Amino acid sequence: MKASRGNLLMLALVLIFLLGPFLVVFLSAFSSGETLAFPPPGYSWRWIGFVFTVAAFQSSFVVSLGVAVIATLLSLLLGIPVAYALSRYRVPGAELIRTALTTPLIIPGIVVGLGLLRYFITLYNVPVYTGLIVGHTALLIPYAVRVVSASLGNLRVDIEDAAYTLGATRLQVFGRVVLPNIRGAVISASILAFITSFNQVPVSLFLTGPGVSTLPIQMLSYMEYTFDPSIAALSTVLVVFTMLIVLGAERLLGITRYV
Amino acid sequence: MLATRPNPRSWLLLAPALLFVLAFFLAPVTALLLESFKVDGVWGLGQFTRFFQDELNREVYVRTLRIATAATVLSAVVCYPAAQAIVRLPGKYRGLMTAIIILPLMVNPIARTYAWLVLLGRTGMVNDVITGLGLSQEPLRLLYTEGAVFIGLLQLMMPLMLTSLVSALENLPGDVQSAARSLGANAWQVFWRVTLPLTREGLVVGGTLVFTGCVTAYVTAALLGGPRVLLLETLLYQKVNVGSDYVAASVIAVVLLVTTLLANQLLRVIGRARGQA
Repeated sequence: MKASRGNLLMLALVLIFLLGPFLVVFLSAFSSGETLAFPPPGYSWRWIGFVFTVAAFQSSFVVSLGVAVIATLLSLLLGIPVAYALSRYRVPGAELIRTALTTPLIIPGIVVGLGLLRYFITLYNVPVYTGLIVGHTALLIPYAVRVVSASLGNLRVDIEDAAYTLGATRLQVFGRVVLPNIRGAVISASILAFITSFNQVPVSLFLTGPGVSTLPIQMLSYMEYTFDPSIAALSTVLVVFTMLIVLGAERLLGITRYV
Repeated sequence: MLATRPNPRSWLLLAPALLFVLAFFLAPVTALLLESFKVDGVWGLGQFTRFFQDELNREVYVRTLRIATAATVLSAVVCYPAAQAIVRLPGKYRGLMTAIIILPLMVNPIARTYAWLVLLGRTGMVNDVITGLGLSQEPLRLLYTEGAVFIGLLQLMMPLMLTSLVSALENLPGDVQSAARSLGANAWQVFWRVTLPLTREGLVVGGTLVFTGCVTAYVTAALLGGPRVLLLETLLYQKVNVGSDYVAASVIAVVLLVTTLLANQLLRVIGRARGQA
């Protein structure tokens, strides 16, 4: 059946509604004006260049990057064993474990942040950086478990049994047989986790402190006082940054698939 | 063999993640939520009645529900035809289209909401058009209104509905729609009697994601609603940062959680009910 004209028209409208705003941000980013106006009075690279020189953006970018990388690695280290255990062994209470580990997806991020602030960070005087990593890691574990579980479900257990029969140890089986087969899922989970952490606002809202802020939180506080095109410029830079990561990983996946 | 054997070693694999989530997530969140069930050290629901007695709080709650419901319904209405169009596109375009829809989900919510600040501001394009056409002498206040928050959330959450419906429609068995057509059903009947019942699971998933997303989206509510048009999330933030009222914050947290859980349950029930009809 071919798509009807009415349906195609609706699709076009939806695409304009979803993507049009990005065009507005892109064009504003290259404005030559002092204040934010659309359409811009002229075009230049000045604001794109400017955002790289703002110290608060530089330092918060480093924090965001650090938190995202560490939280992603931690969530994979904690999540992959769970996915493996749940798919390969009969675990009593497996459903309960699954539910417990997916609660971070159900609880609103702002509640998570406030809970951590009140009952962990202030209580034990935890440094801001650690608090952010801990909060983000809890949030990312469900992604790691879910994506890797799906991939393990498709992997036949026979090949692991075969490796055991041939004398491989548990670690060897995991490292040489299981891991290469779920590599795609592990990469997908890492990208998903990284981006979720890097763009995270609600969880970080109460967890940033004096001097240590993540980039999205820094952007929000910058917007409270200044209304110039720099946030549009920074948004554009970030869109390009995320696209490079996603495309790069896609490329990496595409290559490994054929190796 | 491997799969069916209960193995004590499996706990070694499970324990680190479970302990982590328990210590750094479940425990602090539970402690926070429990705060709202105490009045002067005694267990009770007094904080909730006090919260809902305040007219401002009630207003915020009803507004949050209203915006989230409207966004869920409208995105479903708009996305069904759009998703149908995507599924019927030739193969190569379909992949591209899916990528285009998913991409916004990977982008920072601030970047995704920012355009509306530009468009809806006093000197923004929408106001230029309105005053240009002579519809109003003065620029209108479009930002920090319920409409602005609604538009922003709709744009933010629509990809979730669209992707859910696309995958539901892709899984539609073979040519049921053409079959219904050739047996004399009109387009509306095909949708109502065949497509909708067979894709309602996708609709429930999409609806759950959109509704929950709207109720818990902080950035859009903060940027487009400001302190004038508060939603539950922004109210919670304000209670903590402006008033240091942690009890109220904890009450809002419980209200947020219960609301999303109830909405998810309700959507699931509606999904099932339509199936039996």
